[in-house]
Parts: sequence; structure tokens; C-alpha cells
Amino acid sequence: MKRLLPCLALLGSPLFASTYVVTVAGLGGEPDYEQRFSMLATDTDKLMRAGTAGDRIVETLKGADATKAHVEAALNKVAGQAKQADVFILMLIGHGTFDTEYKFNLPGPDISAGELNVLLNRIPAGRQLVVDMTSASGAITEVLKKENRTIITATKSGSEKNATVFARFWVEALRDNAADTDKNGQVTALEAYKYATAKTTTYYSEAKHLATEHSQIDGESRAGAFTLVRYGAADVVVNDPAKKALLVHKEEVENKIDALKYQKDLMAPEEYRRQLTGLLLDLSKTQAEIEK
Amino acid sequence: MKAPRLGCIMTPMILALSLTAMAQTIDRAEALWKAQDFTGANEAFKALVAANPKNAAYRMRWGDLFKARFNPGEALTLYSEALEIDPKNARAHLAVARILVNQFNPKAAEAAEKALDLDPKLFEAHEIKARIALEDDDLKKAAEEADAALAIEPYAVNAIAIHTALDLLADRESVWLPKLSDRGEGYETLAHFMVINRRYEDALKFYRRAIAVQNDLWSAHSQLGVSLMRLGREEEARKELEIAYDAHYRDAQTVNTLRLMDTYKDFVTFRTPTTILRLHKKEADALKPYFEGEMLRAMSVFEKKYRFKMQVPIQVEVYPNHEDFAVRAMGMPGLGALGVTFNTVLTMDSPSGRTPGEFHWASTLWHEISHVYMLTLTNERTPRWFTEGVAVHEETATEPDWGDRVTPDILAAIRDKKLLPVAQIDRGFVHPQFPSQVIVSYYQAGKICDYISARWGESKLLDMAHEFAKNRPTVDVIKEQLGMEPEAFDKDFLAEIDKQTGKIVARFEEWTKGLSEVNKLNKEGKADEVIAKGRALEAIFPDYVEIGNPYLLVAGACTKKDDSACAMEEYGKYSRLSGRDPGSIKAYATLLDKAGKKKDAAAALERLNFIYPMDMALHEHLGSLYLETSNPPGAVREFQVALALHPIDMAGGHYNLARALKAAGQNDKAREEAINALEAAPDFRPAQKLLLELSGPGA
Repeated sequence: MKRLLPCLALLGSPLFASTYVVTVAGLGGEPDYEQRFSMLATDTDKLMRAGTAGDRIVETLKGADATKAHVEAALNKVAGQAKQADVFILMLIGHGTFDTEYKFNLPGPDISAGELNVLLNRIPAGRQLVVDMTSASGAITEVLKKENRTIITATKSGSEKNATVFARFWVEALRDNAADTDKNGQVTALEAYKYATAKTTTYYSEAKHLATEHSQIDGESRAGAFTLVRYGAADVVVNDPAKKALLVHKEEVENKIDALKYQKDLMAPEEYRRQLTGLLLDLSKTQAEIEK
Repeated sequence: MKAPRLGCIMTPMILALSLTAMAQTIDRAEALWKAQDFTGANEAFKALVAANPKNAAYRMRWGDLFKARFNPGEALTLYSEALEIDPKNARAHLAVARILVNQFNPKAAEAAEKALDLDPKLFEAHEIKARIALEDDDLKKAAEEADAALAIEPYAVNAIAIHTALDLLADRESVWLPKLSDRGEGYETLAHFMVINRRYEDALKFYRRAIAVQNDLWSAHSQLGVSLMRLGREEEARKELEIAYDAHYRDAQTVNTLRLMDTYKDFVTFRTPTTILRLHKKEADALKPYFEGEMLRAMSVFEKKYRFKMQVPIQVEVYPNHEDFAVRAMGMPGLGALGVTFNTVLTMDSPSGRTPGEFHWASTLWHEISHVYMLTLTNERTPRWFTEGVAVHEETATEPDWGDRVTPDILAAIRDKKLLPVAQIDRGFVHPQFPSQVIVSYYQAGKICDYISARWGESKLLDMAHEFAKNRPTVDVIKEQLGMEPEAFDKDFLAEIDKQTGKIVARFEEWTKGLSEVNKLNKEGKADEVIAKGRALEAIFPDYVEIGNPYLLVAGACTKKDDSACAMEEYGKYSRLSGRDPGSIKAYATLLDKAGKKKDAAAALERLNFIYPMDMALHEHLGSLYLETSNPPGAVREFQVALALHPIDMAGGHYNLARALKAAGQNDKAREEAINALEAAPDFRPAQKLLLELSGPGA
């Protein structure tokens, strides 16, 4: 089924749902990494706050502030404020280790996957996204796995222990329009994941290095519903009742396009193209009408 | 033994061996070998050597087994161990020489000499010395050594083959040829000299004759297969290689080449009346426009310059995996070259086969195509130095910002007076005496051709090529065409080199220290000092554009100071001197673009296409610049290539191409691309607008 248009999606979903975002840049261990992790967290913080209409509550921990106690406090705070209708996003940047258990490296004591799981389970937000971009992060998936939780990791397992580059491209995805592959004015977690994965692969391939990280996603079907950044005028028409009929028609056409695409392999190419062109023209004209 | 030999041995086998070791005899080992039970023979030798650690003869024979079963490395180790036990073993020195000569190792001559010192009757050692001399183009010595071998053994087959080769390479009829009679090994040796003198068709002829007189000479089948493969005759090549393989002749060249042939299904071939281009499927659409374009451009330039039109198409094969290219060229991985030419077929690394910026693929392509012309023009009679020199000369003759510049290694060779006289320069390519001598020889040969072109005119190179076509030696051609003795030429040439590099050589140590200091200052963030000291270093050694070069350090320091004009100046110098770092070239283009110098920005990025065209961002930026500078065909090409690289943003890619096609007046194609963009992203508003515009009011 077609994902809803951003405007209609917002109309159809709880209008006052909030998104809680916690970003943590962990222990670098050496100045170069400290600087890199801190910079990525700062950029993420800015991008998460930009273009939102007050529906985002963003907290970022980095450097000496990113202690286990502060991480626990930040997550407990979200647990105390968030509701079932809300969205929660946790992004971890830095180094991770895995021996018998995954640990996210922080100044002072590290935090384990099990401890994070307990904290996350206290958060009532109905949709949760965890993006763990550290080395060995693949080991966290089995621990955090949950029905309503999408988990993205930089590595496929705990045995990929080298420092990762995934975080760099994840943040790049949040600011590069090219990551918005369906051109609907927003970058979702799924789009950012695909962007960062492709860029990471290219990075290793161009450097002629054996890839030491292979990102993975658990809950891919839900990842498209997490909007990370928005730009453009996607929200402008949301509350314009005069355009409602056009918006409904637009959604119908989009659904027809999706249905047609599913039939593509079963159709004669010329017929598919003819029908597709007709629907795209209809959609384009409808959008033009909406914008008048 | 330090390493496992002839495959792994199962643990129970080791136990069994230790119990039966004493029961092994040399006769049993030889019998197993004769019965082609190579594993059994290996185990028998292993046990024998373990039981008789001081027996050099057993190690020698075990080494012979390894040599016969295509493992020269282990054979050499065993021969060396035999020599440690018995340093006066002439046969062991000879065995070492035989291995080394096949590796073109300069120590082969020394080993052969030692063998002769210990046993003057070892005619095979004279044969090896004759072979080395002929490879070095020392014809007199080659004949003398062959004669010395024949004086001891009148039927010495390789000595006869060398005499035959001396005649045939000089285009003389040979009285020696009939003496090879039915001895296949002799024809094989003869074919080897044809190959290394780039007489590939002659090589085929003698490999075939070797097989005709000795059909079970599997090495000849294999070499015939490899040689046919080099010339692009794949069907027959496979047949010969499979004959060898099926007869258990499975040396690395045979196996590697057959494996490579199995991957040809992953390649596509594009043909024009004058070109054949083979590219890997995964990058064919991205590379074809540039490779085909440069092939045609190079051929057009060379056709005029050499006043010669190719009668058959030139075939170019481009390998994304460097080791596949190496196998294609030599049958073995580990080749250091970027491209290799066999008559009209040339193979090379793809830009994707190396790290971005590591090489300039278009320079390599022009270099190799120049070889095709020189080899064809001279009927394969050109000396190595001349064809390489012309090829290096051609790298920068048309586009001065291509090619490679003088490196610190070359400067060190000039300082240490290691450049060879023109009459002997071929030795630097075949038997290098120091690690960088091959690179130094390329440089020297190129500079010689630059010098001839500058002093006697570009057409003098063509005159010389015509003389070489008559199979005349370098000394005679220099004398006649340049009107001077080779020694006098060397003197004048070295004076020119000194003029070009003398100041750099004199201040080389100062420059080296300075470069290290500027890199340190850069790490410390001292921008002003980097700019001042970096520029001083540029003045000492302007050609240095490799790692840690001052241009990019100064450009970085200028950027830190928000001085774009200063950064652009540095990037500009770097680019004009053939700097190849893609990130820096893109940064240069971005600065030019921001400064409103759109055409210059496009030129900077166009230059990068000849270095590393696998970069999506490059094509997207260049395509946009071409749209802004009214070059729609250029924009179409760039956006098509961007799409061929499978961008993450497919919708954006199709939309860009639609815009370019519209600008080029190809509205029907533009509309199709707009639809493609919307198929990927139906809500893509700019593509919707374009579709409506291209569909007209009645749509």
C-alpha cells in the first residue's frame, strides 16, 4: 500500500504527536575521534531541530557530558514525558565493544545493550527508532529487538570491531537532498539508511580496503515512517480545507501509480508506459491545481 | 621445513610418514615421480630429506620436482639449502641460475658464472649467459656465450636457438634453424625471444612448430595459448590452454588465463569501424563515452602525426580488477604496469581498478595506442626504448597537463649519474639493476624523445621510426638521423637534463627537509608559514605534485584564511602540473564555480574525467555547469554517465538528464526521462512541471 503523502499523513495521524530525539556521542579515546564524534553529534542536533514546528524535543549529549548517568537521565526524562502516540529516536555515535555483551563506550562506565534495553522499554512512545552507529553495533539488535522498534546498526555483528564510517554518511544523508529519493520533501530513516549504506560501500570500494562494516536494519518495513528531516513546503497545504478534494484525488492517483508499479512485470512494456504516463500527467496537473 | 610444500598434509599422514621415513629411498621417490604420483614423490622426498638432512643431492632433486610442478619459489629455497650444505655444488648454482633467469633476475648471471667457475664444462651455464646477453641486446656476447656452449656440447639446443634468434631478429636467414630439427624446446626458446622483442606473430609460428615436432610439449601448448590470448584470438587460445591443462600441465599462467576467460561473459564489447572496446558490464555505460572518445581522438592525432592509417581496428580491453589485467597481459598476477600492448590489442587497468587519483587513465590509453602505431609502423622492429620513449612523449605532447612528472626517485638517479647511454638504455627495462630503474628508464626514454623533438623537430621521431623499421640498431639510427655519435648525443642530452633538473638536484636535500617542515607546520595549523614556505618549495621543485606536495598544503592554508583567490591560484598550478587528487580538483572546481568562472570550473572537472570518472558528484556538477554554460551535449553526456553509475537519487538523475535533453532540443527523449524521474518519485515537483511543459497544453 502506498505510504501517505506527508500532508495527508499528518492529517490522518494524531495531530499533536511529538518526536523525542536523543543523540549521544560517546568516548572517542583519542583527540581525532573525540572531535569527529562531537562534530557529528553537533550537526545531528542542528539538523534535528531545523524545520520542525515545535513538535520535536531534542537532547544531545557529547564530550564529557555523555556519561552513563546523563544518558540514563535523558532516557528516563523521555520515559516520563512521552506518550503512546509519540515517536522516539535514539542515535548513538562513537565506539562500541562486544565480548559477551555489547557496550557503548562512554566517559566513565560504559552502558551495555541490556541496560539500554531496560531504559528504552520504559519509554511509552509507540514507535521507536534506534540508530547505533558504533563499531560492533550489530550485536545490539538481538537485545533491543521489539515489535514497535526499528533498529539500524553500522555493523552486521559484534565481531566487526573496527571504527566505523557509517555515522559520517548518516549525518550527510540528513543534509543532502539526494537522500530524499521519493522527492516528497523529507528524509526518512529508511532513505537515510539506504543513503548511508551505499556511501559506506563506495567508501571502502574506492579506497580498495576490505569493508570492515556492513550496516543492517531490523524493521525495514517500518523505517519509512520515521521522518528525520523535512524541507520545502510539504506542510504548507496541510490545513487548507479548500484543497481537500484535490488532495484526496491526488492520493487516489498515487495509489493507482503504486498499484500499477506492482503490475509492471506482468504487463506489456508499452501498455505499462502508456498507463504510467497518463497517471503521472494527472498527478502533475492535480498538484499544479493544489498549488494555485 | 619452514613451509608446507606441494599442498597440505593430513595429520595422520604426518604420523605415518614419521614411522616410515627411514624406509623411503631415492629410487622410490624417483619412481613415484615418473609415475606422475607427484604428491607421493613429494612425501618421499620430504621423508628422505628429514632422514638425511646433510644430503644436498636429495634436496636438489626435491627442488627439481618443485620446479617441474610449477613452484619455482620452493625449488629455489631447496637449491639454496643444498648450496648451504655443499657450496661447491656447480649443479645447484646452475639450478639457481635457471630459476632466476626465468624471473629476469639480474643475479642469474652471477649464479651461472659461479657454476662455470666450479665446473667449466657446464654448457647450460653458457646458454643462460647467452640468453641474458640477448635479452640485454648485447648481441656479440650472446653469440660468444652460445659458441662457448656449443664448443662443449655441439648439440646444445638452447645455444642453437639463440644463434637462430640472433639471425631472425636481424632479419637474416639462419643456417642454425634447421639444426633445431625435431627438438621442440629449441623452438620454444626461439619463440621466447620473439615475444620479448614484440615479434608476436613470429612467436606464434615457433610455438606452433615446437608443437608440430613434439606434440606432448605441454609448455609450448600453454605458451601458444597465452600468446594467442594476448593477440585477442581467444577461441584458439582456449583450445591450446585446455590441451595443456588436460595433460596436467597446470602452471599459474595456464590456470589463471583459463579462469580469466571464464569471466569474459561479464564483459561487453563495443565496435566502431576502427575500434573495438571491451568493458566490464558493471561500468561499461559509465566508461564508454570517455574511452571510445579518447580512442578515436588519439587515433586521429597519431594518424596525422605518423602519416599512417591503421588497417585493422585497435582493440582496447579495460579491467576493473587489476589482477585480471595482469593475468590478461602476462598470465600472472603482480604486474606493476598500468597498460600493456600486444600489436593492435591493448589491455589496461580501469580507473576503478586503482584508488582514485592513482593514475591518469587517458595518459595510459594514449601511451598504449602510441605503441600500436609504433609497432605497426616499424613492423615490430622498434627497440624498446624508442617505442616507450615516444609513448611517454605522446602522453603530454597533446595535453600538457597529462602524464607523469619527474619524481624524487628519478632525481636521485640523475644525481647519482645512473642514466644509461642511449645505446644501452633497453637494459634498464629488461634487467633493472636498482629498484626504480624501470621507472627511470621510462622517464629517460621519454625525455630523449622530447629532446629530439625539440632540437630536430617532431618529424624526426617519425624518420627514426622508419629507420628502425629496417631493423637497424640504435647506434646506426642515432648516427645517421641525428648526425652525431651516440656518445656525443648522450653528452648533449645529459646537458639538457642538467639544465632542466640541475637546480632541483643541487637543492634536493634542502627541498626534502623543507617539505617535511611544511607538512609539520600544516599539522600545527600555521597557515601563514605554510603559505610562505610552501611557495618557496614550489619554486625549487615545481614538478612535485605527489603526496604532501606544497600546492595542496598552500591551497588548504589559503582556504583556512578564507582567501579563495589564493586557494584557486594554488589549485590551478597543481592542475596544470598534472596533479591528480580528485578531492582537490573538485575543490578547485567548486571555488571557480562560486567565483562565477563556470567555464573554468567545467574545464577543471573535465580534466578529472580523465583521471577518475567513477565519481557521481563529478558528473552531476559538471552536467550542471555545462547546462549553465550552454553546452547541452556535454550536459547530456555527463548526466547519462551519472545515471550509469546507479545514483542513490535515481529520480534526481533522470530529471537532470531530462533538463539536459530539453536544452539539447531532444524534447521526446527529455519527456521520457521526466517520466522515468516521476516513476521513481511521483511527487517530485520539478519533474512534474517539466513533464507538463514537455507534454504541451493538450496533454
